[in-house]
Amino acid sequence: MIEVIQSWFAPPRHTILLVLALWFGWWLAEKIVKREQKINEAAFSNLTFYGLLAFVLGGRILYALDNLAAFMSSPASIFSPNPQLFDPFLGGAAAVVTMLVYGQRNKLPFWPTLDALTPLFAALMVGLGAAHLAEGSAFGKETSLPWGIDVNGLTRHPSQIYEIVLAFFVLNLIGTRGPLPRAGAQFLTFLAWTSAARLFLEAFRGDSVLVFGSLRLAQILSWVVLAFALFALNRLQSTQSVAN
Amino acid sequence: MQSKQRIFYAVILALGLVWIFVSADRDGASTNGLIPAPRAGFLAPDFTLETMDGDMVKLSDLRGQAVIVNLWATWCPPCKAEMPALQKVYEEYKSRGLVILAINSTVQDDAQAIPAFLAEYGLTFPVLLDVNNEAGRLYQLRSLPSTFFIRRDGTISEVVIGGPMAEALLRTRVEEILK
Repeated sequence: MIEVIQSWFAPPRHTILLVLALWFGWWLAEKIVKREQKINEAAFSNLTFYGLLAFVLGGRILYALDNLAAFMSSPASIFSPNPQLFDPFLGGAAAVVTMLVYGQRNKLPFWPTLDALTPLFAALMVGLGAAHLAEGSAFGKETSLPWGIDVNGLTRHPSQIYEIVLAFFVLNLIGTRGPLPRAGAQFLTFLAWTSAARLFLEAFRGDSVLVFGSLRLAQILSWVVLAFALFALNRLQSTQSVAN
Repeated sequence: MQSKQRIFYAVILALGLVWIFVSADRDGASTNGLIPAPRAGFLAPDFTLETMDGDMVKLSDLRGQAVIVNLWATWCPPCKAEMPALQKVYEEYKSRGLVILAINSTVQDDAQAIPAFLAEYGLTFPVLLDVNNEAGRLYQLRSLPSTFFIRRDGTISEVVIGGPMAEALLRTRVEEILK
């Protein structure tokens, strides 16, 4: 099964899995928005579209600006189909700014909108795991467990499978449950679960970036995000209690 | 209720901290570039291949230099399309320690067509002949062209499967491996 996925979606085709996840997440998010009627459907759809457009264009343009010397020597490279000429973090920043501006202009409430976008984020996490599996990246550390998989002649934890399973669990949790009473709770719950999953799973990775000798950087960052999410959830709960 | 929830969250965070220390990589379970494999973060698999001139080139002998390993064939359109960019970048960066090893996948190509190909594109970097598919096997060649950017310490910085690679892509990755 793993070999089939790795063959069908071998790089650069592994990005198809991310696009499929994006399409499914968008469909699911719009379906939930329609059902719950908390925010304007058309405005939400436009917000998502402009956000994606800003991600794609911003990721490429900001990457080019960040590597200006390389692009000055060959300006036509800006139109290259190479997905490597792209910065997902800068693209994400461009998408966030665009969505904030569009949301404010169209009076979309911040936390309910973020909650509505959460199924899209959750689906993307599943797609990311699948893309890792197809690409062979984010691989596990060596193991003698019977479910280990062969990676370049060594038996390793199927860390990408763990990643997909936990991302599916979170997607199921987010996508199937009814509306939560507090605005922001959906997104913060997703953030808490996703960071907790990464904190746990990073221990089985064989490609961790280490800091302070032997600590895994991704675990430390995940712990900080988890702490923020739990703190914010607690604040939400307190605000609700005071209001009641 | 509120205080119970706070305690629950605090316990989760405490367990998280414990897990970070328990699962610390004390025995070097992360690759740290020690295991040879054709993936980013791993040590580039070593090979010895013959050049067009009959010289032997061993990848590990180039340790200390930044290396681009490009697997190609004369009949492959994206390979042809990226050759001018490779040549241009090679000319600009070879004085800073860049080596390009263009490995012709001879097992699936016509060796006699290579000299005309090199002349047509004016290629001056070393071209190696992979007659027995040694490099193809070691680098798990699935698609042409396939390019491996190798740092001075012999670890793979990035793998680009397919092409053609834009000149800006080559420049940014070369700057990275020359550091």
